[in-house]
Amino acid sequence: MIALDEWQERARQWLASLEVEFGRDARAGLSQDEDLAVGRRYMAAKYAAGFSGITIPTEFGGQGLTPLHKVVFDTLEAAAAMPMGYFGVSTAMPLPLLIRYCQDKAWARERVVAALKGEEIWCQLFSEPAAGSDLAGLRTRAEQGDAGWTINGQKLWTTFAQYADYGIMIARSDPAVPKHKGLTFFWVDMKAPGVTVRPFRLANGDIQCNEVFFDDVAVADSQRFGEVGAGFRVAMETLMIERYAASDADGFGPSLAAFIELMRGLDLGGRPLLKDGRVRSAIARNHALRTGLDAIRRRAMLAMEAGMEPGPEGALNKLFSVRSRQKLSELALDLQGAAGLSYTEGGYTKADWGSSWMGAPTMRQAGGADEMLLNTIAEKILGLPQDHRPDKGVPFNAIPA
Amino acid sequence: MSVLHDEAQRAITEETRRVLAARMDLKRQLELLDSVGEWDEAFWQTAVEQGWTALAVPEEYGGLGLGLIELGLVAQEAGRAIAGAPFLTGGHGTVRALLATDDAAARAHWLPRLAAGEIRCAFAMPQGGRAFQADASVTFTEGRLNGTLSGVVGALAADIAVSCVSGETGSALVLFELADVDRRPIASFDNGRLFADLVLADTPATLLAQGEKADAIAMEAIAQMAVLAAHEQVGGAEALMFAARDYALTRKAFGQPIGAFQSVKHRIAELYGLVEIARANCFHAATREGEADFLEAAACARLTATEAYDTAARDAVQIHGGAGVTWDGGLHLHMRRARSLAIELGHALLWEDLLATELTGVMP
Repeated sequence: MIALDEWQERARQWLASLEVEFGRDARAGLSQDEDLAVGRRYMAAKYAAGFSGITIPTEFGGQGLTPLHKVVFDTLEAAAAMPMGYFGVSTAMPLPLLIRYCQDKAWARERVVAALKGEEIWCQLFSEPAAGSDLAGLRTRAEQGDAGWTINGQKLWTTFAQYADYGIMIARSDPAVPKHKGLTFFWVDMKAPGVTVRPFRLANGDIQCNEVFFDDVAVADSQRFGEVGAGFRVAMETLMIERYAASDADGFGPSLAAFIELMRGLDLGGRPLLKDGRVRSAIARNHALRTGLDAIRRRAMLAMEAGMEPGPEGALNKLFSVRSRQKLSELALDLQGAAGLSYTEGGYTKADWGSSWMGAPTMRQAGGADEMLLNTIAEKILGLPQDHRPDKGVPFNAIPA
Repeated sequence: MSVLHDEAQRAITEETRRVLAARMDLKRQLELLDSVGEWDEAFWQTAVEQGWTALAVPEEYGGLGLGLIELGLVAQEAGRAIAGAPFLTGGHGTVRALLATDDAAARAHWLPRLAAGEIRCAFAMPQGGRAFQADASVTFTEGRLNGTLSGVVGALAADIAVSCVSGETGSALVLFELADVDRRPIASFDNGRLFADLVLADTPATLLAQGEKADAIAMEAIAQMAVLAAHEQVGGAEALMFAARDYALTRKAFGQPIGAFQSVKHRIAELYGLVEIARANCFHAATREGEADFLEAAACARLTATEAYDTAARDAVQIHGGAGVTWDGGLHLHMRRARSLAIELGHALLWEDLLATELTGVMP
């Protein structure tokens, strides 16, 4: 297996060589569809160069390397601002599940390779209008008949479903048992009759999220992942797959160094802002916080390198870094005065304060709202009790709506 | 050096925790609050017996030749136990100052005694808004000190003191014996810290360094002590977080443990975040000893650890409700210690400014 430092150097050089063709400047002014096309080309190049499917076994078209190799590459890739956003969900969770649960291994391999090359895109149909943090409260129904399953219902917040060829989904197969026990997991063909995808615009202008409607959509029993009724457990598995994700102490917003450079040119009544105690305090506090998060990340990396399990404190990064990004972005805009008013949709959140600010609320909700992260820390790490849950142990169809 | 601790370092943590837990005496700690000039001598004896005074002293001076990482781990446990003696920190600052001077005779004379725990040392910093500068109100001329060093931690039971004062050619880093010095005790909220004003009247002192070199050595020693204090703060903050957690698990209201209410459990989860971020900064800073970014790393540790301990003190007491504010419950020991540690090595605004200057190159 390739040594980590050698891997890192190779990745660095390869990414640098692609800057001109795929970097942020090269993509400036592109429509989303054009950008997606560039993204597909990038994914193909990445596959050819041997940086795709880093933790996926080689017999399924991956690299067969460790989570650490993946974290190292993902960190560099994010810093290089490559157009991989459309494929983030697609290549993260669905592929390991396909490999684990799909009986037709040759077909699974075809799908994995096509997804890694960016030729096909998968989406993840989990959240619903009435089921977000409380995922097990979902209402989309899967009814079993002689010829397979019929799906009816609505999903919401499905990222890039408008481009998706396939999706993994969870639906209620038995409403007469408690909510966690009546769910079953499937993959679905997004082009199948009865599937309607409706994109909608987010507050920051992004068109990434979709409503997905299922009207009598037929799904074969061979499309089921895991046992009937084991859907929630399979969904939790998907969330565990990405536990060593690349993290960013800046919360995917601009760096402290960028904030300092912005302040360097500004003044308050003729006095440089960098001399103002309030600005200095914000710089010092945010830097100290982010240095701590960075030290946690580095310690986790070292632990993984040493073959040890990283500590649970890695769970803190999103919670603390995005809040820091949100408030610092507000301050950065405010202190520019009139210059802070201009806003262009679709800016890169790590370079543009307006985009960073507008996108921060999404970050605080996606992939676990702040409140859910705090629950997880309190319950899983500190051993505090769950909240009072009146629906616990109650058959789903007996829970008052 | 790695922020991942090796077996020996983990053993230091475990052994220190075991020893301190066995000797912790809440009743005695509470008694100390009521009297000025008394202190936790038992902790100091333990520190000497366990070799903690020798940990970070080079072997050629009778020490164990370890560094800030190991001493930091001891400090973290001392903070957890609200251990009542300030001399580990002051002693370490003195060791660093002596090692940085050109005065071989002073090193040979004092370092073995500091390592053996035969003498206790106070490191006197200017208080208020000038903590990182030489104390201009105290002069050193013709080998004698005059003026008052205010609010010196450990002063009531220290044998010697080190300070950076105003010398004949700029700053003067000096070491002096306290036997004949007029010590004016300060009745404080944390009397075990032995705070006093040192009134110096023609007090003889040894010059360790002068001018810019004196300032640089003093700043380095203060940063080292700040990293130790930050470890202590993290230990205290973590102890409070667990106290809050344990109380929230057992105390019931409205038919359930109060830890089931999000207003309570989220507050404790937030404390967990503050503690772990501060701890990561502490471990990081301890590995940056001697590097160009050490001051920056020390400031990060200091700022986040102060925030963690202060927030934990506020929130843990609040979560305990009435039980948090009784004398015998003892939580106020942490609340008091959080305050004294926040003041002793320079308050948060000073460290914010220092860090901002390091990062921006712009002075306040």
